[in-house]
Amino acid sequence: MSDTPTLGEDLKRLEEIVRRLEADDVPIEEALAIFEEGVGRLRAAKLRLAEAETRVVQVLRDTAEDGTVRLEPLDG
Amino acid sequence: MSALEEAWTVSRLARTVKQRVEQDFPATWVRGELVGLKRYPSGHLYFGLRDDLAKVDCTIWRSVAARLKTPLEDGMEVFALGTPSVWEERTALRFNIVQVLPAAAVGTAAQAVERTRQALLADGLLDPGRKRPLPPFPRRIALITSVAGAAVRDVITVARRRWPGIEVLVIGATVQGDAAPAELVAALELLPRIPDVDLCIIGRGGGAKEDLAAFNDEAVCRAIAAAPVPIVSAVGHEVDVTLADLVADVRAATPSQAAEFAIPERAEVARRAASLESALGGAMRTLVTRRQERLDRTRERMGAALLQRLRQQERRVHAVRVALPAALERHVRRPRERLAALGARLEPAVERRLARARAAVERQAAALHALSPVAVLGRGYAMARDETGRVLRQVADLSPGTRFTLRVSDGEVPARTLENP
Repeated sequence: MSDTPTLGEDLKRLEEIVRRLEADDVPIEEALAIFEEGVGRLRAAKLRLAEAETRVVQVLRDTAEDGTVRLEPLDG
Repeated sequence: MSALEEAWTVSRLARTVKQRVEQDFPATWVRGELVGLKRYPSGHLYFGLRDDLAKVDCTIWRSVAARLKTPLEDGMEVFALGTPSVWEERTALRFNIVQVLPAAAVGTAAQAVERTRQALLADGLLDPGRKRPLPPFPRRIALITSVAGAAVRDVITVARRRWPGIEVLVIGATVQGDAAPAELVAALELLPRIPDVDLCIIGRGGGAKEDLAAFNDEAVCRAIAAAPVPIVSAVGHEVDVTLADLVADVRAATPSQAAEFAIPERAEVARRAASLESALGGAMRTLVTRRQERLDRTRERMGAALLQRLRQQERRVHAVRVALPAALERHVRRPRERLAALGARLEPAVERRLARARAAVERQAAALHALSPVAVLGRGYAMARDETGRVLRQVADLSPGTRFTLRVSDGEVPARTLENP
């Protein structure tokens, strides 16, 4: 799992942002800031959703000397 | 008569019984003693299973019979997996068997599994609380199974359908036979060395149902428990639950189902993202509109409030202006009236006090008069005083030739003592 926000986090935060914007008491400065954040997260989520083709890879048992694992495309 | 007119035919009874019995009857393990075994030329097997109280006729079709590992014989205690069916011609019930295990073999295998289960239980590996949730949006899924098996194809099919873009890493391992446990453990031990794996499916597709031993193996179970990512078991067996299923974070019946559990529907997530997009824009527009309206309302309210206060002030000024002369009048006139009233009351009082004082003075003057030496002189006495006014009371005060004044009742007379007495 990577350090960048996951799709799940992006979607969850987006839901929070929408809820916050719908609240009556949000200061306009905050509203603008979280709206921009929401736009950014939305862009990231859509990018992730647009990823194209399923990749199927076989993990080879005979690993390299340094212990890294070798991967080889597999025809699914 | 109508009841008789509606009488069933025998075949209808037989058909109905068959439907009732066979409908929704799940495959069931039955334990009993095998009796009256007959092997027909067709290859089908017929026999009975019984216990102390009951007996059931059983059939094993040729295809199943051919796969039996242990030859069956009368008197054998067996576990049989099957479903009941009704032979309509005789309305006779038959237990249709798809798998047979000799109880003796099951006994030892079952005891071994139970020992392993106890060991895992003692170490807390079967604790439901240690089950990890699957990551909601995996990108990279590991699949431990036989490369030649159907599981690879099944998982890839589901992955392509549900979320194109997902990556499937196949880690090959034999899933049956003596080599299976060691290969499964080795495959599981590779997981920490592959970066960014979100979860792992371990299992087998179809194949011979009876050989689940590798998935009851203690080393395999412990390797599953130690895996760095959530594990979905997919042993491909509806009836038996293996120990691997119990240790895994999620149990699926088949590899396809495991993939369904592990991989979300991208279309659904895309719909959610789209609805969030419109909700985000909508919420912002609504917010701006609402703020605008609120501003307008505030401006109107402020105008109205100011106007109202202004009018109030005007009214107060007016009221003061009207009331002022009267108030001034009240303020000035009232002291004047009080003075007059006081004056009116004061005069007689002063008079009375003056009169009283006068009377007192007259009384005291009378008293004084009684005491006065002048008054005494009136009675015939005279008073001698020298030039300084000192009263001369003794002979010594009046030496011969002394000049003095003699005070009588109506005046003074100069006098002198004689030179020679």
